[in-house]
Amino acid sequence: MIRFLLIDTLKMKKKWVWFLVFLGPAGVVGLEAFNFLLRYEWLTKQYQDDLWGGLIDESRLLAVPALMMGLAIVASILAGIEHQTNSWKQVLALPVSKCSVFTAKFMLLTFLLFISCTCLGIGLICLGMALDFGTKIPFEYLLKISYYPLLAALPFAALHTWLSIVVKNQAIALTCGIVGTILSLYGVIMPDWVPYKWLFLENSWGKFEYSATAGVLTGLLVYLVGLLDFSRRDVL
Amino acid sequence: MEKFMIQTKGLTKTFKKKKVVENLDLQIKEGEIYGFLGPNGAGKSTTIRMLLGLARPSSGTIEMFGKNLQDNKSFILKKTGSLVESPSYYGHLTAYENLEVLRRLLEIPKSRIDEVLSIVRLNREAKRPVKGFSLGMKQRLGIAAAMLGNPELLILDEPTNGLDPSGIHEIRELIRSLPKEHGTTVLVSSHLLSEIDLMATQLGIIAKGQLVFQNSIEEIRKKSMSRIGFHVNNPVEVKTLINSSHAVNEEGIVYVDYLADAKVAAMIDVIVSHKYEIYRVQEEKKSLEEIFLTITNGEASL
Ligand SMILES: Nc1ncnc2c1ncn2[C@@H]1O[C@H](COP(=O)(O)OP(=O)(O)O)[C@@H](O)[C@H]1O
Ligand SMILES: [Mg+2]
Repeated sequence: MIRFLLIDTLKMKKKWVWFLVFLGPAGVVGLEAFNFLLRYEWLTKQYQDDLWGGLIDESRLLAVPALMMGLAIVASILAGIEHQTNSWKQVLALPVSKCSVFTAKFMLLTFLLFISCTCLGIGLICLGMALDFGTKIPFEYLLKISYYPLLAALPFAALHTWLSIVVKNQAIALTCGIVGTILSLYGVIMPDWVPYKWLFLENSWGKFEYSATAGVLTGLLVYLVGLLDFSRRDVL
Repeated sequence: MEKFMIQTKGLTKTFKKKKVVENLDLQIKEGEIYGFLGPNGAGKSTTIRMLLGLARPSSGTIEMFGKNLQDNKSFILKKTGSLVESPSYYGHLTAYENLEVLRRLLEIPKSRIDEVLSIVRLNREAKRPVKGFSLGMKQRLGIAAAMLGNPELLILDEPTNGLDPSGIHEIRELIRSLPKEHGTTVLVSSHLLSEIDLMATQLGIIAKGQLVFQNSIEEIRKKSMSRIGFHVNNPVEVKTLINSSHAVNEEGIVYVDYLADAKVAAMIDVIVSHKYEIYRVQEEKKSLEEIFLTITNGEASL
């Protein structure tokens, strides 16, 4: 499996992927910097008890749509490499299982998003420092807010891995990504069982872990269904 | 029992109730170059996709290397190299890097890349991005990729499609050398008869999804189609002398169906002993074109 991941990164040479992986968190941090600079007085008053917490919570609202859009675009680029180069048939006519090819794409997508989330965490620390919020950084909270949304987004990552591979026309996958991003903006007001809500780690129990776990389990299920469908399909 | 590299039985593929490939019984022997001939849309690519496990047969079985494809996919694909329709390549990578991607998937030694590049004579261009390659070079790279795993069976779908004459010539020579130099069995499809004619030792013709002919090219030429012509001073009398029901007199030449050497010698003896003069004896091969039109009842416009 590691072999497959390395091969995919080899193919990504000179592609846009890496740029996007860093653009996402940089955008969120940048906008947040803008937000705090413009409304510094008001926001620092609002969150005066917990400046770091305030910064992290504010950024969460931007990070979720960024994650959703980024996920769709990166999934599309990863599958698009094979579509554009006409090489699905070449790869799948090799003695490799369809399962490992599909899994490699899914894992690579997850790994790239993991890097993005890490960058976001680091970026927020830098921003907080620059805004002079002190050194009492709530690391545990920051870690949760950085990585749990990724776990909650796994169903969407699996869905987009499947969609981008199965439908050659990437406009379809990207359109779904845009619709998903817009829907995710309303995630907070949706009922508990809707995956879009999990992204914000909100639920009636007030436990982040519930949202993350629901994401991982559902993500696994979507991945398995996608895998099953992909392995039964004819390659064109 | 002859050993078949590929043997299909009743192979059928249905797309939306339309039978695109119907009841195909392919038999491809080891060490042959099997020409798979058929007009566009006949079902060649669909058949080849099924042989490579890219598409599932609607019914029928495929045996390769004596094993069922469905149950031994990875064993069979390990020994099979393929090029399906247009070549696949990562344009932003160099020829070498393209093969490197596949090499890692196949887990074979690095030195093999240089070997296949020199087989298709691309070693000088190895470090150039593939997007700057001519179509012929890309196609050669595709063949190099197909040969990377040192396959015992090579499946090439229209490898010369879209190439200029010199490109076609190069690919053809390359394919022809494979069984001799590397012991490879080759299945090559084309919609051009002239091309298959120059490469193949075995021939299968598919039209509208059905296999209408399958035999060795030699066989078909010999058995039914070539004939011996005698230029003589008195064709009318010689024709009666030969007294074969198949003898015909065409424009002053007496033709009989194909005969083995000894029989031709005997026939010459008879004609000469009756004091007729023979100016020339010739073997005339009908062009394959004509032969196939007969086989397919002029249906398949090849
Ligand atoms: N995925 C598909 N869905 C529906 N019809 C298809 C599909 N692929 C091929 N066909 C049809 O099958 C027929 C045979 O196609 P193909 O095998 O590509 O022919 P060839 O390679 O001999 O030119 C064509 O009529 C084509 O339209
Ligand atoms: Mg074709």
